[in-house]
Amino acid sequence: MNQMSWPPQVPPQPLPSVPPPMPVAFSGKRRDFFDLVKRGAGLEFVTLGFYRFWLLTDIRRHLWANTLVGGDAAEYTGRGKELLIGFLVALAILMPVYVGYFLIGLEAEHIQAFASIPLVAFFYVFGQFAIYRARRYRLTRTVWRGVRFWMTGSGWIYALQASLWGLLMILTLGLVLPWRNAALERYKMRHSHYGDLQGSFEGRGWDFFKQGWWLWLLTPIALYVTPIAPFIYGAYKAIEWRWWLSGIRFGGVRVESKLRKGDLIGLYWKVIGWIVVLGLVFSVYLGLAAVLVASMTESSFTEFFKSQEFMKSIPLLVLAGVGYLVFALAMNVVIRVYLLRDLWVRVLGSVNVSGLEAAANVAARGDLANALGEGFADGLDVGGF
Amino acid sequence: MDSATPETLTSQGNGSAVYFDGVSSRRRSVTLRCSDRLEVSEDGQALAAWDYSDIRRADGPAGVLRLACLTAPALARLEIRDEALAADLVSRCANMDDNTPGRRGVVAIVGWSLAAAVSIVAVVLFGLPLIADRLTPLVPEAFERRLGDVADAQVKTMFDAKVCENEAGQKAFVKLITAIREAAGLDTSVQSGVLSSSVPNAFALPGGKVYLFNGLLAKAENPDEIAGVLAHELGHLKHRDSMRGLIHNGGTSFLIGLLFGDITGSSALIFGSRTLVTSSHSREAETNADRFAIDVMHRLGRPAKPTGELLLRVTGKEGKGLSIISTHPLSEDRLAQMSRQDRSASGPPLLTSEEWKALKSICSDKI
Repeated sequence: MNQMSWPPQVPPQPLPSVPPPMPVAFSGKRRDFFDLVKRGAGLEFVTLGFYRFWLLTDIRRHLWANTLVGGDAAEYTGRGKELLIGFLVALAILMPVYVGYFLIGLEAEHIQAFASIPLVAFFYVFGQFAIYRARRYRLTRTVWRGVRFWMTGSGWIYALQASLWGLLMILTLGLVLPWRNAALERYKMRHSHYGDLQGSFEGRGWDFFKQGWWLWLLTPIALYVTPIAPFIYGAYKAIEWRWWLSGIRFGGVRVESKLRKGDLIGLYWKVIGWIVVLGLVFSVYLGLAAVLVASMTESSFTEFFKSQEFMKSIPLLVLAGVGYLVFALAMNVVIRVYLLRDLWVRVLGSVNVSGLEAAANVAARGDLANALGEGFADGLDVGGF
Repeated sequence: MDSATPETLTSQGNGSAVYFDGVSSRRRSVTLRCSDRLEVSEDGQALAAWDYSDIRRADGPAGVLRLACLTAPALARLEIRDEALAADLVSRCANMDDNTPGRRGVVAIVGWSLAAAVSIVAVVLFGLPLIADRLTPLVPEAFERRLGDVADAQVKTMFDAKVCENEAGQKAFVKLITAIREAAGLDTSVQSGVLSSSVPNAFALPGGKVYLFNGLLAKAENPDEIAGVLAHELGHLKHRDSMRGLIHNGGTSFLIGLLFGDITGSSALIFGSRTLVTSSHSREAETNADRFAIDVMHRLGRPAKPTGELLLRVTGKEGKGLSIISTHPLSEDRLAQMSRQDRSASGPPLLTSEEWKALKSICSDKI
């Protein structure tokens, strides 16, 4: 693997009077990140998943601290304990919600079988709320030059907007996606601040559409010809990243990205390759475990497998369970290295920031947000960094 | 180094650093002086002085020592690139790494996680069955019936099944079920019927509903076989097993889901371990229902063994080995239990041969 370490690690030069567009840099070593997620996966295994709050925090700390903008590195000040508390609070709130959901679903089913399925929509709205609040937590934990980012706005208004757009998405088979993203980003960025600099989003849905409409046409084909799916998805992600980054503004600070369509496709293929390799290793392991267990029972080999007895053998089930857990964790390591770290580095490498002088003397403002949103996001399994 | 005016030298290095005061984002090139406190000054003007014992390490990029101070604004940062100066400061600040959790913090996380895991597993294995037992009698019948209606509608949609009610067959079925119901000591609130589906099965729903699939009727050779099955399902009703199962199942899924959280793809794991736990509970309920069925059949003066034979005919030989994931006991064991306590028939047959014939063809269109 190539060790990404651009630019060469030298102390930043004193800023000239009229700064040119400032490339953004990443100083972290791939090896360090790999060790971090490897150890984290081990601890997740030992703690049956509870370590995830601290692992997520460590990953963010690594990525933030090694991201240099204008020569100064960012910092992530969130902590695992905050995420744990957010998770517990979310749990306390979600439990009655789940019970209520169950009871309402029961009444609905009483009237018509499977009538409770539309209630899933409620959780979609809730998930959008969680996404907004989780972003707010992350942003208020992001510090650059001794000043934090912060966020206002209402998670519920955002959730309402996102849900209405979601409805339109269904009606138009996804064709409104560019305009949906533009509208939602506008809301998010308008309510984002760096000190006393207000954010805004200048990306337009039409531009996104012009760059990506052909992917929308190709998607139905990808459902039949799966090997082209990673190409389509990779190109889509690259277009989305470039469009999104190029729309970000904080006061006079402008972000621009030159990510090319093909830049991310390789990463997705590498992940697929690793999944195939790990899957093979896992199957070989399962085979060996079966042979081992079979050789320990009295019945002959063929009889053991023919009688379906092996489906019920406890040692085999335990071995399979442990193997599966290790397999899942190894996949997590692969995904985190390629789709978090490498993707981050690749995307950062395409970014230019201009007008940084507007951020040279910004007054600190804004309060910390709690980690409730992160807790909801964890409880509802909606994505996030 | 690139610092413009190295005026005040520390013991090592030229003392140059970058300082952010945490109030504005201004980047200040400062010089550091290590006296009894760490003094930060810009162009000769003092900006801050930090006590060594209050200085903490903050996350920084590779090759940069980034410091914060407990008594300064929370986000004030000092960045030192000079290695010698950094090493000097590290040796002076004894409490620098107090904020980083370190090995002890990780041990605490692991320890408490394991404690949480153990207590969750203990609750799943020992607490939940108890809770389900105690909670079930407290659930109002009306609520249970409501649940039953819901399940009823779903089952009928899922199997695309209609209730079979050709007149003669229905008459025979009512006769059979009434005899069993009375022997079982259940009141008339029990609803039952035959569903047109080729799946050889029968089941009880919460709130007093018992269904027999036509597929099982087709495989049965005499009324006693079917009577035992119905008695078994009535046993579930009597014990309110589906309500108990619901509480037990829901609780188990929830708690195990708590445990494994977000390990990607863990839903298979959650499903797997839940199956293990709940099926052991369900096997127990099945054995109890079997015992109940045997009891009822004896009260009717009919043998229980035919039911066991029917079960074996349906499932086929299941083989030996511990079936820890199956929800029912092995058919062989069930047959053995039913034959062990078998008595020969002492009462009259439950159905006449005409009635039996009518029951078998309950799903064929009205003749």
